[in-house]
Amino acid sequence: MSEGNGSIRDDGWKVNSTLAMRRRLMDRLATVLSLLATSVALIALGSILFTLVVRGVGGLSLITFTHSTASPGQEGGLANAIVGSLIQTAMAILIGAPVGMMCGIYLSDYGRGWLASTTRFVSDMLLSAPSILIGLFIYQLVVVPSGQFSGLAGSLALAILALPIVVRTTEDMLRLVPISLREAGIGLGASKWRVIVFICLRAAKTGVLTGILLAVARVAGETAPLLFTSLGNLDWSVSLTRPMASLPVTIYQYAGSAFEDWVQLAWTGALLVTLGVLFINILVRIGFGRKGA
Amino acid sequence: MIGQASQETKVAEKPAIAVRNLDFYYGDNKALRNITMDFQRRKVTGMIGPSGCGKSTLLRVLNRMYDLYPGQRATGEVLFAGRNVIGSGVDINRLRARVGMVFQKPTPFPMSIYDNIAFGVKLHEKLSRSEMDARVEDVLRRVALWGEVKDRLKASATALSGGQQQRLCIARTIATRPEVVLLDEPTSALDPVSTARIEELLDELKKEFTIAIVTHNMQQAARCADQVAFFYLGELVEMDSTDRMFTAPKETRTQDYITGRFG
Repeated sequence: MSEGNGSIRDDGWKVNSTLAMRRRLMDRLATVLSLLATSVALIALGSILFTLVVRGVGGLSLITFTHSTASPGQEGGLANAIVGSLIQTAMAILIGAPVGMMCGIYLSDYGRGWLASTTRFVSDMLLSAPSILIGLFIYQLVVVPSGQFSGLAGSLALAILALPIVVRTTEDMLRLVPISLREAGIGLGASKWRVIVFICLRAAKTGVLTGILLAVARVAGETAPLLFTSLGNLDWSVSLTRPMASLPVTIYQYAGSAFEDWVQLAWTGALLVTLGVLFINILVRIGFGRKGA
Repeated sequence: MIGQASQETKVAEKPAIAVRNLDFYYGDNKALRNITMDFQRRKVTGMIGPSGCGKSTLLRVLNRMYDLYPGQRATGEVLFAGRNVIGSGVDINRLRARVGMVFQKPTPFPMSIYDNIAFGVKLHEKLSRSEMDARVEDVLRRVALWGEVKDRLKASATALSGGQQQRLCIARTIATRPEVVLLDEPTSALDPVSTARIEELLDELKKEFTIAIVTHNMQQAARCADQVAFFYLGELVEMDSTDRMFTAPKETRTQDYITGRFG
């Protein structure tokens, strides 16, 4: 019963050709569509990066890093904006990360009932709240009573933005810690908080750190919450009680101006922010890559 | 230690743990019914029975692990060191230091081998650096792990093999100097060679500790235990010396289970 090529005839191998054809067609179509969607996103991203580099790289001189912003036509840099952004972002994380972590711990290990679900709901809402609202909130809470815009107010606004990101990742990462690890700690006679701080947080370290870095990346590029809080400062100032410059706000002010050198600095500032955020994202990638996640 | 052990043959010692009329509930679900049994001092008590029979539940009552979960509760008496430990007013953290537990899957903490052991000790004792070093070495020797890890005590414990991790977990548990060690299927995640090493270890450990081991493995119970308790549907069906349980059980249910007719 063997055929020409030596195989034995078995009807189970027979294929319904119309069905097979349709399946192959759908497969092709889906592949093409998803490739198309991917390329649209990639092209958009690529052209943004390309434009940023081409336009921004011209302003990357020493003066940009050593001089503060100045009037058009004078030798001005971005030193005050860069340092202002660093200070406000660092302050925001110093405030937001510990509070966020504690809140995440509460949600994953202690919170039960309405208080926990309300906290989680509010935190998730904050995650998607328009950032300008948070700026206005701090404006009412800090700027108006103190009578002036300040770096501290800016930091607080950014801290509130960072908060829900840290809350979410801390809770999620702690939940991923196997229950058996907690029981092992408890079984040795350790109290609950000790198990959480010394065992669970340690086990979830990479994930929690990733969340904090993502929060840094998020707040470093924010403009809106700073407009009503730290306002911006044309001069060099590192005082937290006075208005403070920042890269995003400077970009916002310079990009729309009529002066060529200001526009150039805006591009350069944008490039710096992007590179900073990119760097953090790569850091996160590498950190996670090592864990094989 | 040796003096005490030989004395024990003459005078019947008080049991290390005496369970009296114990009922246990998961919510409304009654998982243990009127359990009364003794865990003899410095003996290995094997606990066998089909899945869901309550043997692991009983183990988790003895160190009050169930306290972690709201909705789980126990009534009756578990007498240990002069107290009913499931009653109120017991220092649970001290109880867990005195009644240690080893779990089914090895659970090394995400820290160094040394710190895995020091973590539990530091909870209960203030030791100097050299005393701690000595304690770590002592327990690692006793679980026959010292030779394998003495040059990398600062290395992460999670890099050890499964069998080594489980021996480390046993070392960690005995480092707090418990009187009782509870083992919940300690070899079910291990290969035969690692299993054999853990079983050998039990023989050593019972010279000093009272041991309760839950196992699904009938041969393991026969090999390791001095007395065996058979559980079925939340009840203690029968408990006797290992020899008698495996050669002449009184209950047909025991007979059926150990001959593999169900479970």
